Amino acid sequence: MDFTNFDIEEFFGLGDDTNPLMMLIWIVPIIIFVFYGQRIQLYITSGEIKKGIKKLEAYRNESREDLISHVKGINPSSDPEEKIDRFLDYFTIMPVDVDPGGIIGKIRHTIRSREDYTRQHISSMIPEITPLELGKVQTLLEIASSLQMLYKVVNHMYLTAKKQNNYPLILPLQMLLPTVLEHADAMKAAIPAFRAGQPVGDGIGPMVIGRMMLECTKETVSFETVLARTEFEGRQLVLVKARGPESTVGRPADALEVLTADCSIDVIIMVDASLKMEGEDSATIAHGFGAAIGGIGTERFQIEEIATRKKIPVFSIIVRQSIKEAITLMTRDIADQADDVRKRIQEMILENTKEGQTVLAIGVGNTSGVSQ
Amino acid sequence: MFSKKEIIIPYTVVVCTGCQMTQKREFVSGDVLFAESKCSCGKTARIEKIFGEAVQS
Repeated sequence: MDFTNFDIEEFFGLGDDTNPLMMLIWIVPIIIFVFYGQRIQLYITSGEIKKGIKKLEAYRNESREDLISHVKGINPSSDPEEKIDRFLDYFTIMPVDVDPGGIIGKIRHTIRSREDYTRQHISSMIPEITPLELGKVQTLLEIASSLQMLYKVVNHMYLTAKKQNNYPLILPLQMLLPTVLEHADAMKAAIPAFRAGQPVGDGIGPMVIGRMMLECTKETVSFETVLARTEFEGRQLVLVKARGPESTVGRPADALEVLTADCSIDVIIMVDASLKMEGEDSATIAHGFGAAIGGIGTERFQIEEIATRKKIPVFSIIVRQSIKEAITLMTRDIADQADDVRKRIQEMILENTKEGQTVLAIGVGNTSGVSQ
Repeated sequence: MFSKKEIIIPYTVVVCTGCQMTQKREFVSGDVLFAESKCSCGKTARIEKIFGEAVQS
């Protein structure tokens, strides 16, 4: 073939000797894209989203089956399937936030009522359940209902966009889906660790504080939360963590409330796992100020409120990790940081307090598989 | 096509408080951090770490 006399204008039908067929080849797609562009994009995007929804559906079904088989393994009073299915569909209506005054108390009440109800529900299903198993079932139930909720919301958005041929409605879903799937992957991967009662990455705080509590007398200070008193370099050291090895985060804010009513606290040090940013190394330690505690925000609000009222400085030590590392079996890198975190707590105490002062160290996080 | 599946194997590290002997073994059901057992030297051995290591299959 001879390409030397190739004429670009002729090829695109722009020359004087315009080819009507070439004109059509140009114009028809433009017309199609003007009128049907969004619909074509919707079809292309919906393929990707459908794959994500199938994955979420599989996760939802697998987590439900895991939960049912776990409950069946601990001798329930009757067939648990129907009760579990009913529970997976339970919802929580958050308080009205139009008038935000006092909303934290309302949220706390709603969340705690739900938790109490879940515990009672599990206990009625398995009358002879131990606190250890109760914690496991409660966590598995939360995972399964969260996966069910993710699947339902994503599927609803997808079907609505498709029904209305509404491409802009599918855009936020396309943007959010990778993050949603990352969280769903992490939750699905968390199930074996919680079923086996193993420590998860989030348990690094309780692990460090639990290790420091070993030789001390422990007492219950608030719901599912224990306290131990010891001394370090002439300072009174009060240690608080959720009661392990059950899968619970305890109520550290209530513990602080009880403690500050009893005695004066000079410094609070909180140890927690924290989500790392992309590009940051996992299992690295960082120091900071303010209350390091996750969740819906009620515990943090309560701690900040007490600290402000009593003028107690709050320091934090965090161990960075990904969402998956935080809720799945603890990695070796994170476990290896426990001694280093303990040394940092001691350094922080020496740098920020004088002899005779009282320091409260709180190990924040899920204490599954971590005793004290 | 050539991607390998990642399996997480849980391990338990037991350290004797007397002879400091460290034993790394596979996790068994009921292992919890700081649980104590008897070491062959007669002193107390304690579970110091439980972690997962990824292997490709």
